[in-house]
Amino acid sequence: MSTIDRKTFMKLLWRHRKTGSLSRRDFIGLTGLGTASVVLAANMPGLLASRRVHAAELGDRVVLATWPNYHDPQNFETFAELTGVSSQVNVFGSNEEMLAKLQAGGSGWDVFVPTNYTITTYVELDLIEPLDLSKLPNFVPSAYDPRFTEPGTVNGTVYAVPKNWGTTGYVVNSAKVTDNPTTWKAFWDLTMGPASGRTMVHDYQLTTIGNALKYFGYSFNSVDPKELADAEELLLKAKPHLFAINSDYQPSMRSGDAWMSMCWTGDGSQLHRDMPEMVYVLGREGGEIWSDFYAIPKGAEHPEAAYALIDYLLDPEVNAREVMAHGYPSADSRTNDLLPKEMLNDPIMYPAAELLDPLEFGAASTLTDPLRAEILARFKAA
Amino acid sequence: MAKAEQSGGQRSVVTTMLLLPTTLWFLLLLVLPLIVILVFSVGERGPAGGYQPAFTLDQYANLPARLKAFTNTLTLAPLGTILCLLFAYPLAYFLGVRASARAKPLLLALVVVPFWTSFLIRTYAWIFILGGRGIPALLAQFGLDDVRLINTPFAVLVGIVYGYLPLMVFPIYVSLEKLDKRLLEASADLGASPLRSFLQVTLPMSLPGIVTGCLLVFILLMGEYLIPAILGGGKVFFVGNALVDLFLQSRNWPFGSAVAMALVVIMLLAVTAYLYFASRGRRRADVSVI
Amino acid sequence: MRVYAAVIYVFLYGPIALIVLFSFNAGRHASDFSCCSASWYGRAFGNPFMMEALVNSLIIALCTAVLATLMGTMAALALQRVRGVLRLLFDALTYTAIIIPGIVIGIATLVALVTVFDAVNPLLAVAWPPSLGAAPRLRLGTGTVIAAHTLFTMALVIVIVRTRIQDMDRSLIEASSDLYAPPMRTFFQITLPQIFPAVMSGFLLSFTFSFDDFVIAFFVAGADTTLPIYVFSSIRRGVTPEINAIASVVLAVSLTLLFVAQALQSRRRRYQSP
Repeated sequence: MSTIDRKTFMKLLWRHRKTGSLSRRDFIGLTGLGTASVVLAANMPGLLASRRVHAAELGDRVVLATWPNYHDPQNFETFAELTGVSSQVNVFGSNEEMLAKLQAGGSGWDVFVPTNYTITTYVELDLIEPLDLSKLPNFVPSAYDPRFTEPGTVNGTVYAVPKNWGTTGYVVNSAKVTDNPTTWKAFWDLTMGPASGRTMVHDYQLTTIGNALKYFGYSFNSVDPKELADAEELLLKAKPHLFAINSDYQPSMRSGDAWMSMCWTGDGSQLHRDMPEMVYVLGREGGEIWSDFYAIPKGAEHPEAAYALIDYLLDPEVNAREVMAHGYPSADSRTNDLLPKEMLNDPIMYPAAELLDPLEFGAASTLTDPLRAEILARFKAA
Repeated sequence: MAKAEQSGGQRSVVTTMLLLPTTLWFLLLLVLPLIVILVFSVGERGPAGGYQPAFTLDQYANLPARLKAFTNTLTLAPLGTILCLLFAYPLAYFLGVRASARAKPLLLALVVVPFWTSFLIRTYAWIFILGGRGIPALLAQFGLDDVRLINTPFAVLVGIVYGYLPLMVFPIYVSLEKLDKRLLEASADLGASPLRSFLQVTLPMSLPGIVTGCLLVFILLMGEYLIPAILGGGKVFFVGNALVDLFLQSRNWPFGSAVAMALVVIMLLAVTAYLYFASRGRRRADVSVI
Repeated sequence: MRVYAAVIYVFLYGPIALIVLFSFNAGRHASDFSCCSASWYGRAFGNPFMMEALVNSLIIALCTAVLATLMGTMAALALQRVRGVLRLLFDALTYTAIIIPGIVIGIATLVALVTVFDAVNPLLAVAWPPSLGAAPRLRLGTGTVIAAHTLFTMALVIVIVRTRIQDMDRSLIEASSDLYAPPMRTFFQITLPQIFPAVMSGFLLSFTFSFDDFVIAFFVAGADTTLPIYVFSSIRRGVTPEINAIASVVLAVSLTLLFVAQALQSRRRRYQSP
């Protein structure tokens, strides 16, 4: 099968998905995507086909710690068909939660998905395995935008390879909230006004505190006690007006229980795809830009299966299907070549430069700062 | 004489052997963990979280930062217990006094069965019932717009009553079943109104069941984590939720240990006081029966 | 009264009916319900992680119930002869084990075990005789869950069995030893049959508690998964009807067991009564 064939196929797929009101399940059945992906994968040179032979060495399972709504479930099924390895997907709400689980020991994970700013801490605490790149032939560094690969390398050693990047903004149900907000100030003011009782914030110190800091125009990454005190005051004032504190906000947004929520790119894409009234907003004041990575924790029980899974997910074909499912932008140019134009011009995935410029990458200090951790815990307990 | 002594010695060896495993378990899994928690609670948070040895009472001084979680728990746990009692009592009464002998085993079994379905899933089912597309949508049909149920203390209370009702029904049923029905008849014959008979005969007789049921439910509620986590949306917060946060998110083990110690102390005090008053009340009740 | 009872039963079973109904959902999410498909049952039984969690939960519950019943009954019997400070101490420990909230037990056990394991594992590695192969590493898992569950359930069994012993007819035991029956025989022929209902209900309670416990296992299960832990992480991931299918199966099995037990009991009663 030639590249052009694949490209047309993907385009077709995209168009159908955008226009049709079919559910994913019906759609997969209708178009035979399940079979198609197996056929595609089987036709790919080398690796995946030869994996099958080595299936015995891989074992039969791999445990993945990742984020909500972050993968195409079909890909795991295909991976199981190809390798005999079943994937268990565990979902977390914050990087702190992942760190706590690893620190307590015995997490049982083989692959996890840390965010850019956390990797140095994992290295310092000796919780992350250096990667043997010879086992990841699908990782070709030159194909990536270096901005999104660099945090995976600490002191010259590669510990993590890029999954995708994204931004943290908020999603608004424009049928319910008609004010067309464009700033973080508006987000908080609406929360304490017309959208009272209908707003959700993440159960995550970095974004919830960071975006409260933005209300005052402070840095998203601030660890200054005075600035944090302002943010805490705002959070406590807003708390009675919140619908929930939860990093998995899609179900509540879809059911209409919540009208507005802090939101990551992909959830914005997914919600907008199914419900056009869902609008993704990046605060004009700034906020977060980030990239997520695949990594292997120290002492993983199934390291070979872990490498196989990461390599499989990095395959441009597979990754393209992932991107179409999760709606986060990929930093891999090979993947982007396979994606339809509409997607590469999508303003949710690729916001305008003037919106991207003020965004900040998370800073490592925020992860371990005791005050930020305590403020979030206090806010939740208030 | 010598023989008796020998058998006495043998007896104490047997007694020791019988108590050994339990003692070991208590020491390793109750006393040791409590000591470790106590030691941690006077320590400090490590630079990246966790525990660092120290001797300070800062963690205890910081307890007021979780005051809301404690007051929430100390209001919602007793309230939930009382609601459970109010809903459970009539059912237990029906089962113990009114139900026909043939239907009783089946009806009783049906109270227990929910316990064998995952508590988590049963609680989760209420998200749909209380969520925007459940009861509120139904109420909207009748013109009651914008009713919000999920993620409120009300939702948590519904979850509590739903989850723990069977636990309350059973002990009360057991004590009512022992009730000698002739007492009720005698009371009626003597011209007592049904209400009076109930207050003077039935209620005092079922008091031991009430005491046990309330104790069971109260103990479980004081450490509740799941119901507020699932039906409270992170807004209705119990001490249990604060503890999970401190250990599994902000990684502040010393402060978490202090919160845990505080909860243990409150429990010991509350339960001891409860048992004291309950036993006094029971004694008085016994008198009134006579 | 009858109506009230009916309402309560509807309240108890409404959500359960919903769970069973959703297990036949043909769609992927609870929000898009379309009837009816049994495919989720097949998927649930084909899902190795869920089956492993189910098996783990069964093993944990069974071991907990056996251990708790054995140790609790032994202690309850022995306590008849213990008086004084020792008795007071033992009662206090039993009482504490019951009233300390599960979440505190979970956390305290986690912290204590992690600390102990960190100290013991290096020692084990050094002291372990090389002839026996690699030194074992103590770690959190199924074993630690059983240990932690047994603490609470054992205390429960002690209380239940002791209450029964207090109500027991002593004259029989005295008569038996007056007749010079060996203590073992007295135990098996007189004591055990009398306390058996209490032992049995202790066993069932322990099993039920352990099988359904989330909060203690959540902390001390380490890398192992139990069914409630699996269900919890699925809820966060967005539940598929697979979970409903498993819950329905568990419900069906327990209903069957219950009715079988009921039938057996009523048959025995009929058999005994004349």
